[in-house]
Amino acid sequence: MPENTFENITNRTMKTETQVWSDLRRHAATQLRPGFADRVVRAARAVAKAVPSLTSIFALSAVTVAVCFLVVALSGDSARDAAENDFNLAGWQKIADAADEFAVNL
Amino acid sequence: MESTSPTPSVDLVRRAQRGEPDAQRELIVAYQHRIAGFIYAIIGRSDAIEDIAQLVFIKMVRALAGLQAPAQFESWLFRLARNTCIDHLRRQKLRRIFTPFAPEHENVPEPEGAVGSEELDALCHALAQLRPQDRALLALVQEGRSHAEIAVTLRTSVAAVKARLHRAREHLREHYQPNHEN
Repeated sequence: MPENTFENITNRTMKTETQVWSDLRRHAATQLRPGFADRVVRAARAVAKAVPSLTSIFALSAVTVAVCFLVVALSGDSARDAAENDFNLAGWQKIADAADEFAVNL
Repeated sequence: MESTSPTPSVDLVRRAQRGEPDAQRELIVAYQHRIAGFIYAIIGRSDAIEDIAQLVFIKMVRALAGLQAPAQFESWLFRLARNTCIDHLRRQKLRRIFTPFAPEHENVPEPEGAVGSEELDALCHALAQLRPQDRALLALVQEGRSHAEIAVTLRTSVAAVKARLHRAREHLREHYQPNHEN
């Protein structure tokens, strides 16, 4: 019977641990169903198709930015038009007032 | 079950990098069992192994083209697996914050006979007491990786690996108590 020295106990423990680690790896390996590699390769290809490329992401961003600029420009234009209309209306109002005054004086 | 072949050649890695499906498949077959064991050591649940292994290998296939040094494929793959497992555990932790489980749903034990032996159960229990980073470290040692290789995998120094490994082993010994040694 081996002596219960520190080395013996440590070695015995280490050996047991190593064997149990092998059991762990074996047990984990049995959790993968047959055809695992084929399934992964198929899934990876499906993911590659589903995920948009960097170019298409940039193209979409560029289109979004362009649309935003267009909206801002158009809304700016319509605001400027409204201001111009007010200015013109005020001018016509002055002319009308002046014409009325002229008519009264006559 | 598909058998695990020996360490693949750099040529095989290069072919997989070029997008050859057969080479990618061969790489997966070569590493699937080792990666499964590595994942189990970190996650501690056998019902999650296949899903996480699938995630690791999908990431591998997608990122392989960007690998600069095909000779370091193995270290790169194990780093990918380690990071995926740690991300998984973090997400699980976050999910529990937003959808807290009832106490009886926390740490649901594995189904009867799922683990295998009492010793394996004891090892899984002991590993569960360690930080995921330490579990990964111990699993890499059990993979037969040298300190230098582990340092490359974890992007740290050999001295740091030695120190962390020493602490992790100490912790594991504190918690590892198979019944026959009691």
